[in-house]
This record gives sequence, C-alpha cells and structure tokens, in this order.
Amino acid sequence: MPLTGTRDLSTIADSAPLLTSLETEPWELKGAQHLQLHYELGGDRQALLPPALHPSIPPTLLVNVTHAPDSEVGAFTLATVRVGCRAGARPRGLLVRGYCDSASATSVLRERWGFPVDLADVHLDPSYARATTSVTLDGATILAGELVDPQPITGADVQYMATLALARVARDGEETLLIQVDPDYTFDRAQRGVPRLTAFDAEAWNLPGASGAHPISASLTTVDMTLPRLRYLVHPDRDPLKAVERLPQPQPA
Amino acid sequence: MKFGVFFEISVPRPWGPETEYTVYQNCLEQARLADELGFDQAWAVEHHFLEEYSHCSAPEIFLTAIAMQTKQIRVGHGIVTCVPELNNPIRSAERAAVLDLVSGGRLEFGTGRSATWTELGGFGANPDETKKTWDEYVRVIPKMWTQERFSWQGRAFSMPERSILPKPYQKPHPPMWVAVTSVGTEIDAAARGLGSLGLSFGGVGEQAQKIAGYRKRIQSCDPVGEFVNEQVNTVSFLYCHEDDEKGITTGQRMAGTFNYLSEQTLATRQAYPTPSYLSPGLLYQLRQESTSGPEGRVPEGLTIGDPHRVAQAVARWEEAGVDRINFLLNVHEMVPQEDVLASMRLFAKEVMPQFQRDETPEPAGATAAGGA
Repeated sequence: MPLTGTRDLSTIADSAPLLTSLETEPWELKGAQHLQLHYELGGDRQALLPPALHPSIPPTLLVNVTHAPDSEVGAFTLATVRVGCRAGARPRGLLVRGYCDSASATSVLRERWGFPVDLADVHLDPSYARATTSVTLDGATILAGELVDPQPITGADVQYMATLALARVARDGEETLLIQVDPDYTFDRAQRGVPRLTAFDAEAWNLPGASGAHPISASLTTVDMTLPRLRYLVHPDRDPLKAVERLPQPQPA
Repeated sequence: MKFGVFFEISVPRPWGPETEYTVYQNCLEQARLADELGFDQAWAVEHHFLEEYSHCSAPEIFLTAIAMQTKQIRVGHGIVTCVPELNNPIRSAERAAVLDLVSGGRLEFGTGRSATWTELGGFGANPDETKKTWDEYVRVIPKMWTQERFSWQGRAFSMPERSILPKPYQKPHPPMWVAVTSVGTEIDAAARGLGSLGLSFGGVGEQAQKIAGYRKRIQSCDPVGEFVNEQVNTVSFLYCHEDDEKGITTGQRMAGTFNYLSEQTLATRQAYPTPSYLSPGLLYQLRQESTSGPEGRVPEGLTIGDPHRVAQAVARWEEAGVDRINFLLNVHEMVPQEDVLASMRLFAKEVMPQFQRDETPEPAGATAAGGA
C-alpha cells in the first residue's frame, strides 16, 4: 500500500465551513481567468495529508487563482493553495484554506461547495509578458507569485486536478469531511509559462512546513468554468480504499 | 506466437534490509524458470523514482544477470529511455552492445521516452523535447553499432568522430522496438521499421486497430536500422491455475494493484501542459480495461484463470495480430513465489504447446551467429 497521510484534519476544522445541505446547483462562471502555479512540494509529505489520501509521487503544491469577472454575486477573485495527492487512484488537490476578495462570493463558496475560504485582498493581473498574483491578509503578503515567459498552448493540453475541500457537514451529527469539487472547463485561451513563487506563508494557508520546492509549470487560461453539483465526499480518517462516499444524484427525467 | 516474461520489479513497503534483495532474487528465479520452460524473451523496464511500482532503474545490469543464468531466452530492454538527461546515446549503444556480446546475441533493444513527470522532472528533462530526442536516438544508435567510425551533429547531442565500441554480436544489429502507449506511436514505430512493443495492459480491441495501422504503415517504411523489424509485442498479466475462479481472482487482484500503484505517480500531462504528451487517459484507460470487463466478466485478452480460459485469451491476441505476449508474473509480491512458479509451469504445460506452430527460430533480420 502506498504511503498515506497522518494529519488529523479535525484539529483545524473549526474554521472550515459548515454545510447543512449537500444539494447544490451548478454555478457557471463565464470568461474566468485562471492561473495555476505548480510546484513539487517541500515539507513532510505525509504530515500535510489525512490518512485517506496518498501523497502523489512526487507530492505537489498547487497555487490556483481564479478571477471571475461576472457572476450572480458580481466579480470576485479566489486564491487557493492545495496539496497534490491521490484519493485512491484519483489525482486530487487537498484544500484546507483559501482566500477570496468578495464577501458574497465567499459565502457562496463556503455554503454551497464547502470551500474553506476567508476574506482577503486577492489580485490576479495578467499581461502579455507575465501574470502576477498576490494575496494580502491584514496587511501582510501571504502569497505572491507569477507566471513568466508565457507561450501559447491549447486548452486541450491543460489538465486541472479536482479539489477536496475541508468542511464540516451536518448530517447525523457534525462530521469533518472533504468535499470533492470537480469543475467543468471549456477553454477559450491557454498559455504555459514558468512559475515563480516569491512569497508564501505556509501557516496562513494551514499548511505548516509546506513550500514550493521545485518549479514544474505555470498556466494561464481563459475558461468558462462550472462548479458542479456535489457528487462525492471523502472521509479523511478512513482507509483510502474505503474513504470515498458517493452522494445520491437526481435521476434523469 | 511467442511468449515472454516482463519485469517491472515492484517492491512493497515496508522496505526492510532484505526486501529489494528478495524481490530481485525472485525475479531472477522466474527468469531462469522461464528459460527452462521455453519462454522466448525476458524484458525489463527502465523506471526511476517510482516508489513500490517499479524499482527497475538499471535494467542493463538486471538483464545481464538473467543472460548469465540462462541459455536460450532473449533479453529485452523494455525500454531504454531515449532522453539525454537519463541516458547518453553513446552509452546506451555501448551498454547494449556489451549485453548482446555477453548474452551471445540475445538482445532485443526497446526504445521509448518516459511518461511521467516523476522521472522526467527528476532528471531535469524537458517534456517538450522527448519525442524529438527519441527520434534522434533511434536513428543514430544503429549507425553507432554498424559504422566503424561515427560522428554526429544533432539536436539531442553532438560528437566528433570516434569508434563506438564494442559492436553488437548480432549482425547487423539487435532488433529494435518502440514502446507503444500513446495514440499514434505505433505509426511512428512502423514508419521507422521498428517493432511495436505494446505496453498497455489489456484492451484487445484497441490494440487490434493499432496493429492493423502498424502493419499497413510498415509496408512503406523508411527503416532507421539495417532491417525492418515487423513484429508486434503486447503485455498481459499471467496467473494460470487449475481452479479457474482462483486464477481469475488472483489475476484481477494483481491487475488492480498494478493500476493502483501506477496511478500514484505523476503523469507528465498532470503536471506539465504540453502537446508532446497526449492525455494520460489513454494509458490509464487501457490499463483500466485490464481490470474491468463488461458486466463483471474477465476483460478480453487478460491471461488469467484456468488453462482453457488463458488459452482463449491468447487466441484472441493471436487473432488481433500479435506476434508475442509478455507476461507480468507478479505485482507487489502479492502472489507467493511458489505460486508464481506454479502458474508459469502450468501455462508452459497446458497452454504454450497449443500455440507453438510454424515458429521461426531467429528474430527478423538479425543473426545471432554473426560474430565480430
């Protein structure tokens, strides 16, 4: 059996959102700009993940920043830092804290998809030469990075990992669970470049000891992104082979 | 139809001081038995850093050990990674020639480019370049083997004129192959006159289409070597047992474990967006075909079960146009060694004779009796 994580996520679940319903409708975010900075992870690969997840070989750190120019709650920018891992055999990114610059979008993301996000100043600034991003919390820069030397590629070349978001779910009592969020993407434009992570406060992202140890790639895309209905949950403390719970889905008419 | 064995050398945790030693010794014992039983080839992968999944990072040494412990079985690189950061092409040619000499002309030379960021990133290789460097390697290595003096100005490497020594024992050179996992690679193989070394497990229907395309394209090929190696190799899991249900159950556990371990690695496309690597979905999809048959049945072409069922699977591969099947005999040491050996013996006794007809004794184009 491949290595598994050792982290007890219940110890950091207090600030995670509480979902009172697992029924949600899809949310389409048209014309979003999405930056991903992909690094090999520095730090203890098992200490950042719960027992239900395997560190990928090698484990990775995924910085994702999405600017949605138009949504039902207005424009917003969302930043997440995830740990690339495996749920059983599936590639996933564990999200234990993110930040968003819109209070209303933060509420939607927390209440409908269990994203453990809080308010902060989040910026994504693409230009022809680079795309820069930063996240500032209480006046401190907790993340800064950029994609440099962009080269055009096709959207078909890009593959994003689904998110497992740390949340609390109220069912028969309250449980700490991971909510799988696997958006659909329709790509309009895509560029690949070199990632540069110039500031990263691991504690602010609830990833103590984590770092971007070795750059892999960066991509910047323009996409129509749809956050889906919830389909799967992962029980973080279970054996990886028994951790995934499939949610009932509506029958097609 | 010829049969071979295929070594990934997967090593389960926990890794004690004897673990890797035991796995390697088990594999060598399997190779010796394969030789005694009449299996035709033993192939070994080249993988790096793939924890538990494959600890076979120096296949030329492992294959040399096999060659020294056997008499007839051919030894195959499945594959040499043709990426400069992993293997200098001169060293690849030299090592292969030595292996061919010490084995008495039993080398099969497989080529490829790696599919994982785990490996390419570990060596600092650029995934955009690997298809190009592979193409350069397969064109120059046969020249290194056959020309007394060789020089090159290329993209992957350059060198002034030297004698690359020694030369292989087989003349003009050992048969050359390409690992075929991505869509279109079988056509790349055919266009260059190279053998198709299928490394996707299962998926007879998918591979039958590829084989037809390969056979058609190779008729008008421009061979990179001194001869055309028109042969199609595939890989399957083997667990043959008198009790069909036990054979199926054990074989499917093997296939499932293999898939689970392989998915823990970081596919290039998951990490590095590039048109040089098609969606990892294909490889994984084909591997999935080896574990999930329609309505819970054993997937077509998966060589597990009792001898009758295994023979049917082999026949299906034969119908699809495959010349050779290489068997993965164990995964993660989940099958006790004595059961692995029993499975091989049962296959050799009950199944192999059904397919040993009209065999040609020598590999296409190369003669092992050439000598220098």
